[in-house]
Amino acid sequence: MMLSVSVIIATRNRPHLLVRAVESAWAAGTNVEVVVVDDASLEQTAHVCRALRNITYVRADHHQGLAGARNLGIIASSGDCISFLDDDDVRLPGSLDLQVQALESAPTAGLVYGQALIANQQGLPTGRFYPANCPQGDIFWKLLEWNFIPCPTTLFRKSCLYRVGLLNDTLTAAEDWDLWIRIAELYEILAVEQPVAMWREPTPTSNQYTSRCGEILQLCATLFEERWLRLPRARTAESSKLQNARRLFNDRITDQLIWQLLRELREGRMLYVAKTLSILARLGPLRTSTRMLRYSRLRLLAGTS
Amino acid sequence: MLQSLPVSEDMLKVSVIIPTHERPHLLRRAVESARAAGTNVEIIVVDDASTDATEEVCRSLKEIKYVRLERNQGVAAARNIGLLFSTAEFVCFLDDDDQRLRGSLDRQLKALISNQDAGFVCGPVLYADQSGNLTGETMSPPSDPTNAFWDLLEWNFFALPVSVIIRKTSLLRAGLFKGGLDRIDDWDLYVRLAALFPVITVDEPVGIYRLATPFSGQGSSDLAANFLKASKHQKVLFHILKARSAPRSKVRASRRRTLNRFADVLFQKAATSLPDGHYSSACANFVSGLRLSPQRLIRPSIYRTLLNSYVPNGKLRIAIGK
Repeated sequence: MMLSVSVIIATRNRPHLLVRAVESAWAAGTNVEVVVVDDASLEQTAHVCRALRNITYVRADHHQGLAGARNLGIIASSGDCISFLDDDDVRLPGSLDLQVQALESAPTAGLVYGQALIANQQGLPTGRFYPANCPQGDIFWKLLEWNFIPCPTTLFRKSCLYRVGLLNDTLTAAEDWDLWIRIAELYEILAVEQPVAMWREPTPTSNQYTSRCGEILQLCATLFEERWLRLPRARTAESSKLQNARRLFNDRITDQLIWQLLRELREGRMLYVAKTLSILARLGPLRTSTRMLRYSRLRLLAGTS
Repeated sequence: MLQSLPVSEDMLKVSVIIPTHERPHLLRRAVESARAAGTNVEIIVVDDASTDATEEVCRSLKEIKYVRLERNQGVAAARNIGLLFSTAEFVCFLDDDDQRLRGSLDRQLKALISNQDAGFVCGPVLYADQSGNLTGETMSPPSDPTNAFWDLLEWNFFALPVSVIIRKTSLLRAGLFKGGLDRIDDWDLYVRLAALFPVITVDEPVGIYRLATPFSGQGSSDLAANFLKASKHQKVLFHILKARSAPRSKVRASRRRTLNRFADVLFQKAATSLPDGHYSSACANFVSGLRLSPQRLIRPSIYRTLLNSYVPNGKLRIAIGK
């Protein structure tokens, strides 16, 4: 008996993209239920959904946010496994079947992910993909360092949620990372090293992204200290391991923020520069300066060669 | 009228979801009360990562669905997880320290089935003290619940997990229990439900609610903290379409009434805990009351209650001068 899959697509006021996502989910597997959660969209989305046959349509009349909407979809779903898909992302044909086979061959594994092709704003592949290599097995500590699991490429057993809980709906970002970490704490993680989904690149040029990026990184830093390091697995680990994880994570965050800072400087957004600097200062001035030095040395090296 | 409806046993199926955390001594009572309350009851116990005997107690209970969360998620998330296992059209969330009265689920279900539009059904609740003895008080919903949305929003009456059965299709439209709202997560849900669907009530008591004392360590022990939290969250709830489309004056008046009610209850609590010598808790309640509604300070009635509570001690008789 093959595991059945529920693909959960949370959508809000983007009816023009939705149909493509739903059809890609159907083409991705043989035993697939598509659950569309309409997060209090305007009338047009409901109209598009009614035209789609054979989907499970869940309509939330109060705005739930991404995590809340996905949780609703999970409750309404009937499959053994769950996969999240955003309305602007696409699943590649046959990819779900491939991942279901991987899960079936490893009964102790909780989640399987893969690579995502990166698409531009028009939805066309750019030829790049992410992540370059996919770590497998017990990746709890690796995952604490950085979220290398693209959300639309994941497939996980619903039974994982019975032990670790649903998505944390208080989070406005990184709620997927939070769930992957909770699953990786208790389960083995698998990966298929090939593209399984297409991911629309976040838009670095849009105002919204720039203003939220620093905020999101700060939220991650809070989550890291207050939730992830308090999971029993991290709490009972040796302090050297913990220190190491903390160092790697903070380096990553600092790098991201420095990168962000440079871009903001280039674009002349002084308000955001100040904001990013304040976050950097809170993370530690010493770390910031050493990372900056490293960064400039790398650029110098790149310049001389 | 209700008797004339052909209601089969299958239609009366209800999922009772009981989140529990380290209260094994009370859990069995809650489960048995739920079983006796209906003819077709599916009991789902969600153990929120208890580290004590809860697991053994649950394993010994017959015919329940037992889910064990390995990591503590909080009561809202535990209730949501319970929904994953529910196969019935109706759900009732019961707390592990509360009890359902015999036959109450069936009675409420019949009311809910006969009214297809309603989102949830609510009923009177008997209060009990810490040892489970009834205090004789009853908390009743309004007999005419047409104004339930505003009543709930203003804390004019409580719908409690023990007194409510929710239609699952309505629940999915209103959204699940939200995280980050410890102790008021159920209120938040009922308001969202009442904004979309009519609320109906039954007249007979349906459950027994264990009243918190300031020292019982229940979620509702710290009244002041809960009120402060609720007053903050009420602002969020005013963004619900139904409230947004109401006249501004109505919203403002509603806000004012709520804050005054919270403040009055807190002043009352402060007054009653003074003679018992709980000075710190009285002080905390008084200060929180003032934070919620400063202009309540100029109402003479609050001083009267405060003073009256002292009069039996004979301390203030002279100070008042009469």
